[in-house]
Amino acid sequence: MSSSNRVTRRVFGAGVVAASLAGIAPAGAQGTPKRGGTLVATWGGGEPQACYVPAGGGSSPTFSSSKLFERLGNRTMEGKFRGELAESWKPAADFKSYTIKIRKGVKFHDGKDMTVDDVVYSISEIWKKYAAASALTDFAGITAPDADTVVMTFNTPIPEFFFASLLCGNVNYIVPKHVYAGSDPVTNPANNAPIGTGPWKFKEWVRGSHFEYVKNDAYWRKDLPYMDRLIIRYVRDPAGRAAAMEAGDIHIGVFNPVAPPDIKRLIGTGKFVATPKGYEESVWSTTLECNMRNPVFAKREVRQAMFHAIDRNFLAKTIYYGYARPGTSPIYSPNKEFYTTDTFSTAFDPKKAAALLDAAGYPKKADGKRFAVNLLAAGWFTENGKIGAYVKQALEDVGVAVNLSVPDRPTSIKRIYTDYDFDMAISNQANPSEPVPSTTQYFTTDGIKKGVPFRNANGYSNPEVDALVEKIKVETDPAKRKALVFQFEKIITVEAPLLPILELESITVASTKVQNHSNDPNYLAATWYDIWLAS
Amino acid sequence: MQRFEFIGRFARNRGALIGAVLILVVALMALLAPLVFPVDPLRIVGQPELWPGEDPDFPLGTDSLGRDMLSMIMHGARATLLIGLFASAVATLIGVSVGAIAGYFGGWIDEIAMRAAELFQTIPNLIFVLTIVVILGSTLTNIVIAIGVVSWTPIARMTRAEFLSLRDREFVQACRAMGMGDLKIIAAEILPNALPPVIVLSSLVVAGAILFESAVSFLGLGDPNVASWGRLVGDGRQLIRSSWYICAIPGVAIMITVLCLNLIGDGLNDALNPKLRDR
Repeated sequence: MSSSNRVTRRVFGAGVVAASLAGIAPAGAQGTPKRGGTLVATWGGGEPQACYVPAGGGSSPTFSSSKLFERLGNRTMEGKFRGELAESWKPAADFKSYTIKIRKGVKFHDGKDMTVDDVVYSISEIWKKYAAASALTDFAGITAPDADTVVMTFNTPIPEFFFASLLCGNVNYIVPKHVYAGSDPVTNPANNAPIGTGPWKFKEWVRGSHFEYVKNDAYWRKDLPYMDRLIIRYVRDPAGRAAAMEAGDIHIGVFNPVAPPDIKRLIGTGKFVATPKGYEESVWSTTLECNMRNPVFAKREVRQAMFHAIDRNFLAKTIYYGYARPGTSPIYSPNKEFYTTDTFSTAFDPKKAAALLDAAGYPKKADGKRFAVNLLAAGWFTENGKIGAYVKQALEDVGVAVNLSVPDRPTSIKRIYTDYDFDMAISNQANPSEPVPSTTQYFTTDGIKKGVPFRNANGYSNPEVDALVEKIKVETDPAKRKALVFQFEKIITVEAPLLPILELESITVASTKVQNHSNDPNYLAATWYDIWLAS
Repeated sequence: MQRFEFIGRFARNRGALIGAVLILVVALMALLAPLVFPVDPLRIVGQPELWPGEDPDFPLGTDSLGRDMLSMIMHGARATLLIGLFASAVATLIGVSVGAIAGYFGGWIDEIAMRAAELFQTIPNLIFVLTIVVILGSTLTNIVIAIGVVSWTPIARMTRAEFLSLRDREFVQACRAMGMGDLKIIAAEILPNALPPVIVLSSLVVAGAILFESAVSFLGLGDPNVASWGRLVGDGRQLIRSSWYICAIPGVAIMITVLCLNLIGDGLNDALNPKLRDR
């Protein structure tokens, strides 16, 4: 049971990294944790549609619900898996079933014990149908042989990395059966006042302003959390967040709370730290996709041309002030397991883009235009609108007329993921290391789910990709699996239905008073059980 | 002769004269924009965040993406004035039609028209505009329609009041006695007499429309394919602590234009109101 705290100098100043390996409160350089007090947190986005959305619903509900619910497992900063509500898990010899030992003595916020029944219910009813529906396509069933064991069985062999990642999935929570059984989980009123096992208990939601959570006195990690209250405040505007942080009203903001130029200014005051740590398992990208329902995009050369027309370095440098890198593959570069540079490159080359379009049968007409597209830039991040303005210009330079729209969040989600009302769309996604299904569902035929946000919205359907993903799903030999994923990356970069144009460097900005933060590779979705505020 | 008299009365109001001159300058900017800056003003042409004066190529600097501020201000004048004029035209058209019919016919038609006007007046204007824009989509036409739809009520009330006071005058009764049709009486006899105060009000609606468009664009719901001043203020607000000129320059332009339009409204009032003729 080791714990370590070290202060490292990062690009942006000092980032405090606390790695706690065994779920024990780390103590160290900062002295004895101070108990009590209120921590106010925010994130670089808006208020969620509900506090908890069983199917995920994007980062905003993940941020708000992950403080209240817990998962069976999570990951350390070193990339290792560890148990949270599970104590351990192991595969059978044929990898078709896994035995999970459940932690004892865990209580829900309403005082009822968490039992294997809750685990069985959560996995078979919530994960299977909503939270991890696309990951659990080969799920056969789950049984509870005794009071602290469950056995999950599958129709096909399941790789260990995949299984462990499943237990750590963003919203793969253990929810109380007595609250959800017999209801429609999507509309259950408890979603707006969740009852979980996490370190924080829901108190109230003042819509348009904040969530108030209080300390869970019966939390299974003894004597934690340190703080009495956690407030999640929503501020619509990055400049407003910067002002609130400077005034001391907000202590920590995850996921780019302030505009890039303000990050440097805040660090300059000496009262804040900024760190890119805590996003290793949730790397964000800005994606550009071509709607396959538009016959113009039927030829892959046309799609490739769209990407050749765009200078990704310019976007990274100008719009993100260097806090981004050009995207090169559907698997992102921080992914130690599966990233490869051996992919098809659609680097900035407007001449090649024009040549590809000429060859594909779309020469410039008398008015200098080849065809017209509706470009939708999802308005949930301010930067998307700016990227949209640049992409419009870049495409017009190669003779594609562009009509840009930048709708607000609900309208963007509806137009991209329900109505498919776009020719090209700029959206965002965040993916963990395990590519199935988070990454693959943007490209497979079974990822086309009308009305489900952040899936295959462009309608790309290729039997070759589908078959490859099926192979990746069941390959239990880690080396062979890696090779298959590399192959997937190659095909997708050639086909270019959707590609990340930028990998975003997400930044957490925190007051120097905040201790034990950014200590989880997916910090936005971590439970924050050990955070505390120095005086 | 009469025309000179009108200009003289208008020019007697110094404020109005200054306003008119400045609006002419803005209109000239709008007209010359495509000649001076033939390329799309939303094109990225230089380094981002150049301060005004830093680079002689960009006298007003560049915004966060490296777009020329001067080009955007000049093209923005075009969009802003057009939106103002067209929205005012839409509002005047609706307002005068509704007001004229309500005032002339009276009775239950008047009741219905005025209750409808009240319905529109009770909804907060900006929220109404935002709602219409969100539902119809953020295009220039839809913004013009939305602003027109919320701005017609004062014009309708004013027109109705004028019609009420004019409809039983001798010259109107004479027309009726001659067997002239209602439509002709409304359009050819009463309307020209009712128009002066309505024109003053319409000029003020132009100013209001510019402010509405700015607010809509500031909130990010403007047409992203068009350079307008409000949109520039909205884009620049993220950088207000470091590069405040991006907000300030279009902000001042909006302020001056709206102020000038109000001054012109005062001048028109002086010029068109016969009671003030010998003031």
